[in-house]
Amino acid sequence: MRTEDLTSTEKTEQSIKKVLQKHRLSGNCHMVTFQLEFQILEIQSKERLSSVITDLNIIMEPTEYSELSDFVSRAEDRRDLLMFFQSLHFFVEWCEYRQRTFEHFKEKYPEAVRLPEGAVSSCMAVRSPREPGFELIIVWRIQIDDGGKVLPKLDLLTKAPRRALQLDETRVLETAPRGFRALLGVLGIEAALESLVKSLGVGEDH
Amino acid sequence: TAGTLNLGLGVLAHLERLETQTNRSRKNLDPQTETAESALEAKIHKLRCLRDKLRAEVKERQARVKASTASVEPDQTLEVNEQEAVEGKQENMKAILQAYRFTGLSGKLTSRGVCVCISTAFEGNLLGSYFVDLVIQKPLRIHHHSIPVFIPLEEISAKYLQTNIQHFLFCLCEHLNAYAGRKYQADQLQSDFAGFLAGPLRRNSLCNLLSFTYKVEPHGQSFPFCARLLYKDLTTTLPTDVTITYQGTDALSTSWEEQRVCHENLFLTKPLHQVFTSFTRKGEKLDMSLVS
Repeated sequence: MRTEDLTSTEKTEQSIKKVLQKHRLSGNCHMVTFQLEFQILEIQSKERLSSVITDLNIIMEPTEYSELSDFVSRAEDRRDLLMFFQSLHFFVEWCEYRQRTFEHFKEKYPEAVRLPEGAVSSCMAVRSPREPGFELIIVWRIQIDDGGKVLPKLDLLTKAPRRALQLDETRVLETAPRGFRALLGVLGIEAALESLVKSLGVGEDH
Repeated sequence: TAGTLNLGLGVLAHLERLETQTNRSRKNLDPQTETAESALEAKIHKLRCLRDKLRAEVKERQARVKASTASVEPDQTLEVNEQEAVEGKQENMKAILQAYRFTGLSGKLTSRGVCVCISTAFEGNLLGSYFVDLVIQKPLRIHHHSIPVFIPLEEISAKYLQTNIQHFLFCLCEHLNAYAGRKYQADQLQSDFAGFLAGPLRRNSLCNLLSFTYKVEPHGQSFPFCARLLYKDLTTTLPTDVTITYQGTDALSTSWEEQRVCHENLFLTKPLHQVFTSFTRKGEKLDMSLVS
């Protein structure tokens, strides 16, 4: 992180002293680079000293993470510097975990697993080598809620040949997304994905 | 001698001619052009003086520069540059350390381990800082700290300190920021909206249980509402339980009941001082309507 303390002006008004600090800060959190410019107004009166962030501007270098732009606007509006740093930290951690997990499955099952968006993919497609018409697509989004909490959100999309859908009397394919969410709760992310891949008969020799 | 005399006569004659010429031209002079001429002459004089002054200044500066560069030896300039570079780096380090405080979590190495500083803020207001001095040993332990006694530090340490120090710090951060936010709201209510309260705001040190009696209209005589706010979740700055009771002398009508319910909702969704700001605004609107 690099910082630049720009100016400091003082205005005195009776027994109240006001100091305006301007800061410019640039840094990065792993692969995400940002630059901040903010102002802090310090007001010292007889009873108390208050320090308020009066202006916050955040410039992010364009990333593949589209989820960040909303979050950054919110942090700017609320002048919430702390939330920006902490949420960014957790967000990037989750992104790295997601990338590691997807890459692990790609390595383990190179024939069956496909990452449509490349290394920083937000989804993983699993295809059965024996039945290429069937595909399970796991979508893993990382969201930052209104309070700055970072939450992973996983969903399952299914793709099957029309004939298979007609034969699907027990509506397995229809209920698969709900089942997947339940499975996540029980096994956790990695084990749930592993079991999905195995369910397509990948890596088995019949 | 005849020659010089002739020359002298010639010169004299020439001078005479010039004199008559000047006299004649003087007689032809207009008083207006005379003043214009003298004005221009004065201006020329002024500009010449300014030019001379600037020339002198330039010369002086050039002399000064020559003198200063001549007096500094080449070795000294290199040393000065090096020292400046080191000072620059120091300034940069100090600035970076200060910058880390803005992230809410910063630390510095100590002889025993590390001292972590947690800074708190609420809605852009920078509030207090707390520190935890950790000793890097097996097991990791806290040497000393400035965490208030009502923050469950032992509980959080027991859960995370030995297994996941990052989580320990973030959890502590959460609790401290929430406490600072709640305290800020209570302080704001006490100082800025004291006129709306009957008596002082009652609170506990953790600021997660507040109780007060209040009114909505700034010029009202009675304080019809009694509020009790409980913040069960110590990591939030909004209450989890709000109970408003109507204790006015009027018979309980639907409008009072509506207000009561509305208030309960307000206190659950907005920070305390903002709720009272909205009461003030409503009161102002009411006044305006009375005037018109």
